Amino acid sequence: MATSSATMRKVSLRNLAAHKIRLALTVLSVVLGTAFVAGSFVFTDTLSHTFHGIFADVAKGVDVQATGKQTDGSGVPLADIEKIKTIAGVRAVDPQVESQIVLLGSNGKPVQGGGAPSMGQSYSPPGQLIGDPYKFISGTAPIQNGQIALNKGALKLAKLNVGDTTKVLVPSAGTVNVTISGVYDTKSDTGGYIGALFARDQALKLFTDGNHVGSVNVAGTGVSQDELKARISQALPDLTVKTGKQVTDETQQDVSTALKFVNYFLLAFGAIALLVGTFIIYNTFSMIIAQRLRELALLRAVGASRKQLSRSVLFEAVVVGLIGSIIGIAAGVGLAYGLRALLNSFNVGLPNGTLQLSPRTVIVAMLVGVVVTVFSAYTPARRAAKIPPVAAMREEFASAGTSLRRRTILGAIFALIGAAGLVGGAVSKAGGGAAGLVGLGAVALILGVLLGAPTLARPIVAALGAPLGRPFGSVGRLARTNAVRNPRRTAATAFALTLGLMLVTAIAVFGSSAKKSINGLVDNGVTADYILTGPDAIGVPVGAAATVAKVEGVKTAVALEPVRVKFNGSDQQGTGVDGSLADVLPFAMLSGTQDLTGHDILASKDKADQNGWKVGSTVVMTSPDGKALNTRVAGIYAHNQLLGDWMTSSQLYREVTPANHRYDMVVLIRAQSGTDLSTLRTRLEQATDSSLVVKVQDREQFKGTQASQIDNLLAILYGLLALAIVIAVLGIVNTLALSVVERRREIGMLRAVGMLRPQVRRTIYLESALIAVFGAIVGLALGLTFGALFVRTLRDQGLDQIAIPYGQSVSMLVLSAVVGVLAALWPAVRAARIRPLEAIADL
Amino acid sequence: MNSPVTSTSGSTTTSSQQPATAAAAGRATAGANSRIAAARAVHVSKIYGSGGTQVRALDDISVDFARGEFTAIMGPSGSGKSTLMHCLAGLDNASAGSVTIGDTELVGLSDKNMTKLRRDRIGFVFQSFNLVPTLTAIENITLPMDIAGRNPNQQWLDSVIDTLGLRDRLSHRPSELSGGQQQRVACARALASQPEIIFGDEPTGNLDSRSSGEVMGILRNSVTRLHQTVVIVTHDPRAASYADRVVFLADGRIVDEMRAPTADSVLDRMKNLEAV
Repeated sequence: MATSSATMRKVSLRNLAAHKIRLALTVLSVVLGTAFVAGSFVFTDTLSHTFHGIFADVAKGVDVQATGKQTDGSGVPLADIEKIKTIAGVRAVDPQVESQIVLLGSNGKPVQGGGAPSMGQSYSPPGQLIGDPYKFISGTAPIQNGQIALNKGALKLAKLNVGDTTKVLVPSAGTVNVTISGVYDTKSDTGGYIGALFARDQALKLFTDGNHVGSVNVAGTGVSQDELKARISQALPDLTVKTGKQVTDETQQDVSTALKFVNYFLLAFGAIALLVGTFIIYNTFSMIIAQRLRELALLRAVGASRKQLSRSVLFEAVVVGLIGSIIGIAAGVGLAYGLRALLNSFNVGLPNGTLQLSPRTVIVAMLVGVVVTVFSAYTPARRAAKIPPVAAMREEFASAGTSLRRRTILGAIFALIGAAGLVGGAVSKAGGGAAGLVGLGAVALILGVLLGAPTLARPIVAALGAPLGRPFGSVGRLARTNAVRNPRRTAATAFALTLGLMLVTAIAVFGSSAKKSINGLVDNGVTADYILTGPDAIGVPVGAAATVAKVEGVKTAVALEPVRVKFNGSDQQGTGVDGSLADVLPFAMLSGTQDLTGHDILASKDKADQNGWKVGSTVVMTSPDGKALNTRVAGIYAHNQLLGDWMTSSQLYREVTPANHRYDMVVLIRAQSGTDLSTLRTRLEQATDSSLVVKVQDREQFKGTQASQIDNLLAILYGLLALAIVIAVLGIVNTLALSVVERRREIGMLRAVGMLRPQVRRTIYLESALIAVFGAIVGLALGLTFGALFVRTLRDQGLDQIAIPYGQSVSMLVLSAVVGVLAALWPAVRAARIRPLEAIADL
Repeated sequence: MNSPVTSTSGSTTTSSQQPATAAAAGRATAGANSRIAAARAVHVSKIYGSGGTQVRALDDISVDFARGEFTAIMGPSGSGKSTLMHCLAGLDNASAGSVTIGDTELVGLSDKNMTKLRRDRIGFVFQSFNLVPTLTAIENITLPMDIAGRNPNQQWLDSVIDTLGLRDRLSHRPSELSGGQQQRVACARALASQPEIIFGDEPTGNLDSRSSGEVMGILRNSVTRLHQTVVIVTHDPRAASYADRVVFLADGRIVDEMRAPTADSVLDRMKNLEAV
């Protein structure tokens, strides 16, 4: 037995070595899938390793850190700092304040930090500083008001130098003129991060309400961290107190959690890539088996058992899987490196560190690569074992194939179940349940289509081939018949493309529907002539609304403010309204009044129903600082996407929001009738000029901004899905290259009876284009259906309009035909090189 | 059998005029001993490999194949009979010498022109892999003309189909046809485009004796009645007995020739050759 299996292994290995191109193509499909899996692990491992390094020192020297009870609260009252100082065992106290800022560069424009934060912090001089002292590279620390020190990266990004003057915008306090006193070095100097150090007095004034600080670092003497923490908590029960170790651990934890999401996100695309790759590996093994039929039958004839035969095929799969995953891991490291470089070229703010290749990454990628390959080769291996020995004598055995009937019936059943799920999801009440039903229906329908695809291939390709092939005459006819010669193979080849395009199309439906819905909301719901917006993290700085309200020609300027409170035991976000909302954003009341005064709130019907509120009900809210407020429901309005669940007065907003946390989400402006809008725009721009970051947009521009945000999100998804498409295209290359090998003699015969080389090539191009377009049509049909139905289940989430991206769909079809031809370039050249003699010789 | 109309299909290329001319020439001289060669090899050598492993498959062969004549090339394995046919049919290049089809010199012809020559002026019947499995019988028959973008001469096509008894098989695919039927379709394809010359490479190699007889009968008839020129390579003396003339090869040289062969006389000659 040992020697016989060694013999079979030898046959397998020789066989792999003898067909190097075939091997390379199969390995490539494994490589692409595993590379993505390995790449996402390496990418996130590297990030978490470097981030952990950066944050390891976040609480260096800090024994205890005290903060306010809630993150959105005012922080630690100044009086408490003095109290802490008096607690036994406290050696030093270092109050910290910080806030989001906007730094102006040498060109007078805000410096774009990309994804990294832009922070202003208080500078603690060496005597008071607890933890790592700042290392100044040049210049001095900021000790006077109006001085700041910048980190090296920020200085470079802003194109500023020590001694230069510029401006810094603090959203809650306005713009300040500053001089750069020095440059410091920091570990967290990732691409795009801006850290401006202010003299402590000025920082307190700018970043706090004057009575609080953000946090207090405490160093102890002669006591353990835990003991010190206990003493401070006891003395000041209103504060959250953590030991230095806890702070470090929690920070690390936050980093890990954030990166886990990135990892899952990337792995999802790795899974898609592998799924698509599975089809290619399966197809390749099927074709290789078909081509080796005579050889395998010969092995059977000379006495190899079925088990030996299937084991030998599976052994080949293991070898292919291993080679593929090893190369895949190497490619994954490259992918991670490239991804980081790409993201950093957009100033996303990822730290540079050595790439981390953990044993886990290697093991997972290897396992996935080998398991997927063996899984894909399992069915072909079983088929190989079933070959009767007499098949060696027969010529046309390969093309026989078993009936598709059972497969088609099973596919039809799945498709029906899928359709039922989809229809059920579409007609049921919007929400998670409906989306789940649509999801299950989609999976069942995909399975149904997968099973039924070989049967679908014939009529669809015939229908496609008639118009596409006509101009090419007999070449077109040959291409058409070749494309469905082996419907299973055509289906499996096309299905890889189907999956990729299905996802792309579904996402495209989401995107276009979201854009259309937003446009609809703005067009139908907003009567404001201009809208003021600010950067995501900052919003519109406080004061801008008041300034524009005084501009000549402005009838109303309404600021919408973010209200964060607690009621019913959970965090709730509502909208504070400063101004006459009905002027700029009309909404319909169902009961009560529109007017918001004092502690009144207005609730949407849904929110009111959900909480059992009626006009006059009392709602007890808790502010971030822990203050309880009694509010009264003054009115209930019909559901309105733009307004959200509930609104309250600006007065209440100010009562619950610390001054240094205040900003406006948007400011809506209505012009006085008869005002020239373009003149008004100029005036508005002049009025908001000092707040630096505020943009004045009319409704069309506002819609455009929203649309471009959606487009940016889609672009990332498309970029990642492109990998699946690339794999699908490689699958087409693979199938065609192997078919050409299979059809050597036939092509030789065609050449003998007079087919010219360009005609041979054209046949292959057309065949490939037909397969690709078949896959694309099925993918588009599925993607449009799923996309539209998912959007429908989200109709109460603001996606109330379904938009089919027609232009994009058509261009995807055309593109898939082009891609098909490109995939055929190399196989076609190989086919055209076949010499006519090969049809008759070598028998 | 109806005498087919020999007018051309209306194409203006000179090559498509050839069948008419050839057939006319064949009728004019009325028989097997025409002086105008349909194919000619002059001092043709074919050498494979180089140095110590060099094999001389054809060794200075000169031979003519007259119009309207049915020739069988015979010889033991490795005698070069297939190589000679491949060189004559434009499937392989001679290492030295001259090969002509009609008045066209094949040596030095580009791949494109060689392909067009095969397509427009030569018919083929191979041992196997004769037909495109995805095309029906009629599509296979008209394939060379379809590739050329020419319309077949419908009257001629009908007479070929009826003569070969393929009328009720036209919509079948090769997998639905017997071996003999497949080979008849291949013959129909070769005849349909009215080529100057038909080459057959072991056309009966994969057939039982009854089907062999049918196929050879078809080729014989095409020579006798339609003045077609046919050259086949075979190792089957019974197949060779359908020919007007048998050319014997051994070790890359022509060693003998026989007219009006019978199966027995061919078999005797072959035995002698293999004994040498």
